[in-house]
Amino acid sequence: MEIQGYNMPEELYYEENHFWVKEEGDFLVMGMDDFAQTMAGEIVYIQLPDDGKKLKLGKKFAKIESGKWLGKVYAPVNGEIASVNEELETNPGLVNDDCYGTGWIYKIKPNDKSEIENLIRGKEAIEKWLAADIEKYAEE
Amino acid sequence: MDESIRQALIEIVGAQNYTNSLIDMVSFSYDASEHSGRPVCAVWVESAEQISKILQLANREKIPVVPRGAGTGLSGMAVPIKGGVVLDLTRMNKIVRISIEDRLAIVQPGVVYATLEKTLIPYGFFFPPDPASGKVSTLGGNVATNAGGLKGAKYGTTRDYVLGLQVVLPDGRIMKTGSKAMKSVSGYDLTRLFVGSEGTLGVVTEIILKINPKPTATSTALATFDELADAGSAINEIMYSGIIPSALEILGKETIIAINQNTDLNLPEVDAMILAEADGYTPEETDFQIKKIIAVFEKNHPKDVKLAENEKEVGELWAARKSAYGVLARIKTHFVLEDVTVPMTNIAPLLKGIQDISKKHQIQIATFGHAGDGNLHPQILYDGYDPDQVKRMEEATTDLFKLAIELDGTLTGEHGIGLSKAPFMTLEHDPVAMEIMRNVKKMFDPNNILNPGKMALEE
Amino acid sequence: MGKKYDFEEKYREQILQCSRCGFCQAVCPVYGATLRPALNAKGKMLLLKEVMDGKIDLNDELIETLFQCTTCANCFQNCPSGVPVMEIIKQVRKDMVSVGSCHPAFKGMNEVLKNHTNIYGENEPEDFERERNKKAEYVYFIGCVGSYREDESTMATLNLLDRLQVDYTLIDEVCCSGVLEDVGYEINDALAAKNIDRILHTGAKTVITGCPYCYRTFNNKAQYDQLLKEGIQVTHITQFLQDFDFGITTDKLVTYHDPCDLGRHCGIYEEPRNTIRKIATNFIELPANRENALCCGAGGGVRGAYAKNSIAMARRRLDQVEEVGADIVLTECNSCVHNLANARLRKQKFRIYNTTQFINELMEEAE
Repeated sequence: MEIQGYNMPEELYYEENHFWVKEEGDFLVMGMDDFAQTMAGEIVYIQLPDDGKKLKLGKKFAKIESGKWLGKVYAPVNGEIASVNEELETNPGLVNDDCYGTGWIYKIKPNDKSEIENLIRGKEAIEKWLAADIEKYAEE
Repeated sequence: MDESIRQALIEIVGAQNYTNSLIDMVSFSYDASEHSGRPVCAVWVESAEQISKILQLANREKIPVVPRGAGTGLSGMAVPIKGGVVLDLTRMNKIVRISIEDRLAIVQPGVVYATLEKTLIPYGFFFPPDPASGKVSTLGGNVATNAGGLKGAKYGTTRDYVLGLQVVLPDGRIMKTGSKAMKSVSGYDLTRLFVGSEGTLGVVTEIILKINPKPTATSTALATFDELADAGSAINEIMYSGIIPSALEILGKETIIAINQNTDLNLPEVDAMILAEADGYTPEETDFQIKKIIAVFEKNHPKDVKLAENEKEVGELWAARKSAYGVLARIKTHFVLEDVTVPMTNIAPLLKGIQDISKKHQIQIATFGHAGDGNLHPQILYDGYDPDQVKRMEEATTDLFKLAIELDGTLTGEHGIGLSKAPFMTLEHDPVAMEIMRNVKKMFDPNNILNPGKMALEE
Repeated sequence: MGKKYDFEEKYREQILQCSRCGFCQAVCPVYGATLRPALNAKGKMLLLKEVMDGKIDLNDELIETLFQCTTCANCFQNCPSGVPVMEIIKQVRKDMVSVGSCHPAFKGMNEVLKNHTNIYGENEPEDFERERNKKAEYVYFIGCVGSYREDESTMATLNLLDRLQVDYTLIDEVCCSGVLEDVGYEINDALAAKNIDRILHTGAKTVITGCPYCYRTFNNKAQYDQLLKEGIQVTHITQFLQDFDFGITTDKLVTYHDPCDLGRHCGIYEEPRNTIRKIATNFIELPANRENALCCGAGGGVRGAYAKNSIAMARRRLDQVEEVGADIVLTECNSCVHNLANARLRKQKFRIYNTTQFINELMEEAE
């Protein structure tokens, strides 16, 4: 669905720092959402940890940079990195071009998949959260 | 440029390999000569197939195409004097294969000379022609001008080391010449036709080079002379030593002064200095050779003769020699670098003749060069914004070429004709030869789209 | 005849000295990564000659080359014609700014530093769990990249200083703003004054910095003259560490990347190596080292303005690391660490550190 010009698919889960999460079989796939990629500008570097790196819910595990911005990526669930989108090593711009498709970033093996229910979900929740952030960033 | 042509080019090479932005057009207007010409656009190509399509397009639309490597040519070969499309070959820079057993290296034209040199070191091999521009010039460019360099007298020039080529002809057909065998006399020697053809007969897309094991020892000697004539006769008599030095370079006074400004070498500022190198596999061997050469120097009233002490000093001397023309550029706003070549017996008269021309036209000429194969580099220095000096430079250049031809020499030993020497081609080549050359060009390139306007090929 | 631009007034003859030999092209990192002759020193000089001859004018079209230069100085070092490329480019940029043609990233940087303490415009530096502005013998000046982009490395450096029992303090530092002079603007006097004031307040006699750029700025720029007048010495951390012993070693294959701002610009080559040799028994040089070192691509503001090319340049330097097979790449410049680390591919297993960070890690492991 579109909210104030940003594309935010309703069926996805969202981590509050503007990363989307979706289920793929036993795994979770994670990427940046449209709001974040627009605000960041052209992404030039995405930290892609080694496979097997342990993730602790709420703890920073990677960073992403655009020309002017450094963003931290926090683990949405407990688990480990199963694989990453290696295309992004030489083409980080995919995140800007197609953040929900070919610009996916991390594939996670969760310890307990049900932890995703704690993320932002559903049309109303998404709208409320995004509207608040749009206002917050407009002030800065 | 016609939008449809632009689109067609973009379709062939991709948008990221096409440019018509001002900053690119300016840099592509120049090589290292004094000439310039604005192209309409430029493309970076990555394969013979792309080049083939581009040349077919160029023939249909009658657009000039100018191939380019590093852009360090000294006669204007890569300058788009008739506009058109610059074909930048620097992205075709793979060393395809090295075979030590077969003594060959197969390379793409965009490989920088120094990269090949560095790659061959672990094998104990080298590619003997040693152009002074080696750290930046590409092998495709070296082939296009039959580059010479410091080792010419003993090892020959680029054409002596090209076994075969892949070429895209001006009509887009792709052709192979030569053989991977070390020698072949099968059919006409098409390889030699393209080497030195300055990008006017075809675009070289792959080169099979012969490589040599590299002698591991060298001895270097330095001799200074108060009289240019003595230096000249010393060079003349080198052949009587029985030794062919691996390098024999001469530096004139102005050149030495300029080098001193750029380095801490503190060379003695004499009329002439000769640097000689003998190579081999043991110090005994090279010492033996260099002593024979030194004996020739001693016979010709040198001011001083000495053996270079250590590797550092040797390295500095040769680095200084290779930077000569760049260093001389500090002196005046403009310069013209010539490479007239004469038989060895005429080096002394040529050196003297250059001094006379300098005096006659009241214009500064610094000289250095490959004494070992008769190839001098007189560099005429002048203020290009002063019309009177420009005129005197032109007159001096004309006299210089006339002198070289009179002395049984040639207009250019290694830099090529390009634009700089085109007006003088008929001084050297008789009308029959000129006609044959023009016919050859017409046969390959009936629409005259490949690097037009060069080498006096147009009447 | 009045000259239209200051760069022509000051550097006409030097620009005309360019012999188009292309020796710069052989070593220019921007050219090496892009193969675009417009971007190397020769390309820039050809443009400027045409501007002086009235064929083209200084305008936005020239930004892409005149503002894309890491200021690594490898061109000048290799130029037989003695063209002072760096000085010419700095003046040209000032002329470009005066006609309103400037790369937005640098214009932005100048604006940001009017209202913020750092080039990123961020409001909260890491506190590094340490007090600031104490009285101490030394001030440790971190620099913007270390404070806001390489906090892990900075933390490690500070931990090392603690282990070595150095009596130092951090200060409420602000950007040295030296970079502004290189990109068409001027050092921000207000920021300089703040730094001087806070340094003096600590009573320290020496400022140690990890950033070669801050080091150069404090030592060479008029706005920081007062430091010298007050007898305060500014030293780079590699110079400071030379005399310490660390009591640990590694047998991993270690190599060193000379930062351009420390190496070619300051001539500091041996001090960092002396320190490394103390802790690494197995040291190997990169093929292009010391005054021939290949630039990592981050300098001169290029990482901010042309990030893709910047990372491509870093990749070329890392190719050399692969060539020598090193396990560890050490350097002492946060900008270099940042750019090289970003450029490292997952399949490249070597690790990149500031020397201080690495020494700290070794000492930590030994405990």
